[in-house]
Amino acid sequence: MGKGQPAYTDEEFVAAIRRDDDRALAQLYRLHFPMISHYVLQNSGTEDEAKDVYQEGVMVFYEKVREGSLELSCQIKTYLYAVCRRLWLKRLTEKTRFGGRLDDHEPYLETGAEADLEVAEERDRQLGTMSQALERIGEPCRSLLEGFYLLDKSMQQLTTEFGYTNADNAKNQKYKCLVRLKKLFFSQYQEHET
Amino acid sequence: MKTEADYYALFDAYRAGTLPDEERVALERRLSADSELARRLQEFEELTGTLTAYGRRLALRRKLHAIHADMDAEQAVRLTPLAKVAEEDERHEQFATGQAPRPLLRISRTEQKLRAFWNGHRATMMVAASVAVMAVFATLLGLEWWRASQKPSLYGYTVLRREVERIKRTQRSMNRTLTQIESQPERSNPGKFSGTGFALTADGYLVTSYHVIQGADSLLIEGHDRQRFRAEPVFTDVAHDLAILQIKDKGFKGFGRLPYSFKRGQSDLGEKVYTLGYPREDLVFNDGSLSARSGFEGDTGFYQISIPVNPGNSGGPLLDDRGNLIGVISGRQMDAQSAAFATKSSYLMRLVDSLGAAGAGEPYNMPRTNQLTGTSRPQQIRKLQDYVFVVKVYE
Repeated sequence: MGKGQPAYTDEEFVAAIRRDDDRALAQLYRLHFPMISHYVLQNSGTEDEAKDVYQEGVMVFYEKVREGSLELSCQIKTYLYAVCRRLWLKRLTEKTRFGGRLDDHEPYLETGAEADLEVAEERDRQLGTMSQALERIGEPCRSLLEGFYLLDKSMQQLTTEFGYTNADNAKNQKYKCLVRLKKLFFSQYQEHET
Repeated sequence: MKTEADYYALFDAYRAGTLPDEERVALERRLSADSELARRLQEFEELTGTLTAYGRRLALRRKLHAIHADMDAEQAVRLTPLAKVAEEDERHEQFATGQAPRPLLRISRTEQKLRAFWNGHRATMMVAASVAVMAVFATLLGLEWWRASQKPSLYGYTVLRREVERIKRTQRSMNRTLTQIESQPERSNPGKFSGTGFALTADGYLVTSYHVIQGADSLLIEGHDRQRFRAEPVFTDVAHDLAILQIKDKGFKGFGRLPYSFKRGQSDLGEKVYTLGYPREDLVFNDGSLSARSGFEGDTGFYQISIPVNPGNSGGPLLDDRGNLIGVISGRQMDAQSAAFATKSSYLMRLVDSLGAAGAGEPYNMPRTNQLTGTSRPQQIRKLQDYVFVVKVYE
């Protein structure tokens, strides 16, 4: 790495990410990307696909850390590798490049990556539904909800931005929007589930 | 009656902890009693929770993209230290924002495709290439081996070049007993193969079989009196298994007058013939008769003779009763009893004549008179033995 940046150990990485230290995240990202990139390129992938898979893997790791539910039984490197390998193999089968017949030669490592990935998949689906629901809810609800929940703007800010007479009006509008979103979200989410 | 939105306002306040105490207590009591309301709260929480999680996910994705872009840019800087002029504008902007210039590595579309293809199929191509290389070498080696095993001896025909290695073991045990008698054993590199050769002219030309000197790096001639000379092949005739050597040593004074002469015509069946050779370290005499005027598989360049010959006899002289040289020992048939073959001297003469006519090298002064006629065989051999040599081959 060099460049006078502090070198983190695995525990320090976890602690720093929990503290929301962006520099640690960036460094972690840089540290392990070559490994995943190499793996994906070796296995008939492209640079872009490597990037996608790696970012997904890092996200799984990051969210686990932020939730505080991460129990590392191995190195971060191994964990990331296992997650990304699973993700990439899944993508490959989806591409049906190998006609669905894809052997995983490498020994199974007890990293907990499998279980974490299932949770992450469920979450992905949930967030995907949410994004669809937000698409369909229409303006001004979408901007209002995005402003409040996604961009962390205060109610005060939103009141002036959307030209409401006072914060209470804005709040009421927000609740109405939430109700609409709820209907869209749950109808779609349940549809998927059944 | 409260609308759903009103409930959400209530829940929001409840979660934020801004609800007055008595209202909170009332709500909690209702929640424990009213399962419908509890479900509604749960839904609300799930909804807001998912929303915030979604927001965080988006933020994280942006963050990772930024990190990756940074990384790419750094790599590009490393790859192309000289920024492109086309990116001048961009750089100015970046200077204005206080960031380092980050030129991008530009790759043409075809090169990109080629790179992707190479990355995807590299392993396969490497395997294919190594298989191809192995196949080539295996074929070459196999061919070479096959040729080596097939060419010099046809099926059932064995050339009589002596492999020194094979005899070495017995030789060593003999040497051991010898050293007990002689305090100073003679140390000499025995060479890899050996055969027999004999003088063609008085001034240093010798004849031996081609297969004896085949693949030789250097040749050493050793006479009955243990005198050694370095020799070089002058001419070889693969078809008739003949080779003519010339002694190159400066100290060589000549053989003296050769006692035998070379027969130009063919010899008759039933003629008594004999040979001298070095199938072991000492000169060995063997005799028999001329049993056919053609060699292995009807080859007319050879005689068949009924002389028991051994490896090492190759290149030895074949003489008839009157001391005429009529052939050169070449090989024997494996599956026949005592069937040996010798190149006819007429072919040797033809070869010498053609060489003389071509004027290559010094003239061949062939012996014309025969001193052996009419003498007894032991006398003949006594005269002959100085003109028969061991040909040692070093590979």
